[in-house]
Amino acid sequence: MSVRSQTGRGRLRAPALRWGGGLAIALLLACPAHVPAAGGLQPVDEAGYRKLLDRHRGQVVLVDFWATWCEPCRQEMPALVRIAGQYAPAGFRLITISADDEEQLGRAAQFLRLHRAPFPAYYKKARDDTAFINSVEPAWSGALPALFLYRPDGRLAAKFIGETEPQTIEGAVRKLLAARPKGK
Amino acid sequence: MNRSRLCVAVLLFLGLAASTFSQAPPEPKFKLGGQAENVALRDLKGQSSPLYDVGQGSKLRVVMFIATQCPVSNAYNERMAAIDREYQAQGVRFLAINSNRQESASEVGQHAAKNGFGFPMYKDEKNVVADIFGASVTPEVYVFDAGWTLRYHGRIDDNQPGTKITSPDLRNALTALLENKPVPAAETKAFGCTIKRVSK
Repeated sequence: MSVRSQTGRGRLRAPALRWGGGLAIALLLACPAHVPAAGGLQPVDEAGYRKLLDRHRGQVVLVDFWATWCEPCRQEMPALVRIAGQYAPAGFRLITISADDEEQLGRAAQFLRLHRAPFPAYYKKARDDTAFINSVEPAWSGALPALFLYRPDGRLAAKFIGETEPQTIEGAVRKLLAARPKGK
Repeated sequence: MNRSRLCVAVLLFLGLAASTFSQAPPEPKFKLGGQAENVALRDLKGQSSPLYDVGQGSKLRVVMFIATQCPVSNAYNERMAAIDREYQAQGVRFLAINSNRQESASEVGQHAAKNGFGFPMYKDEKNVVADIFGASVTPEVYVFDAGWTLRYHGRIDDNQPGTKITSPDLRNALTALLENKPVPAAETKAFGCTIKRVSK
């Protein structure tokens, strides 16, 4: 039921309401405060990262460390999402972990939703980045983009630091899926 | 398992093993406590000079790998300029190297002028210097003592926006070394942009 149809006074108020509503929507879109603090992303620390991998035992897992400020990370996201969708039935799982600062997490979540990236998605919440980065892979400097590919038993199979061709990533995923024990 | 299957399995394993490190930067030629290689640096006009010639007589030297287009590196522009100004008077000499393949010497010069960098800038064509240092991210800093021994390697601080710094690691390292004290954390890491290397 429209506001205009209710009362005569409503006819006068409706344009004001429409303008007011439009202004409110514009303000909501313009103001980042309307996005929940973490944008629906879940925090993960050093211990949480290991638990996350444990929860996906039996699957081939690709962990994508990315950030909204990282252009190559943003560029490769559509290809990663495509690979995730294509190989999910075969036992593949893409996990994204944002390295953005907390103020940017709303935008990070919006970007992931725009590209239909799988959720739940995560952000790193570590007291010390050095310890967090070392817990993932001691040889990793923290440079983004960084992809870590894990075997179904949770062991690291490959890592891709920096810009990487999607076919290289897809090839590594396919090899692991081909070697994956059947029925899992 | 017959021989052909075994060969396929071995090739598969080798392929995966190779991919594990194929994207990583080369191993550094020196590590913490080791001496820097006296690499040739090229300034923005292409003039070559040995690393050891930079800041002769200084107590400490700070080598920073930075970028013109990386948002993380750019977030540190003011802080880098400020730390340089602050510690110069105490005998610390800063220099910065750009190793990104897509950032030209002229772009590097304009970026340095725009941000008021008081330290010399060098362009590392084909990331030769970055490979010797094992540098992989921007910004990434190396602090050397008077004998070019590496005493600190890692981030500038622990907060990219600069509003919530709890660990000013570079300052901590410089202050400790100037006071002949142990560096609190001699090796640190941070999230940053990858150095864009040429294919070799």
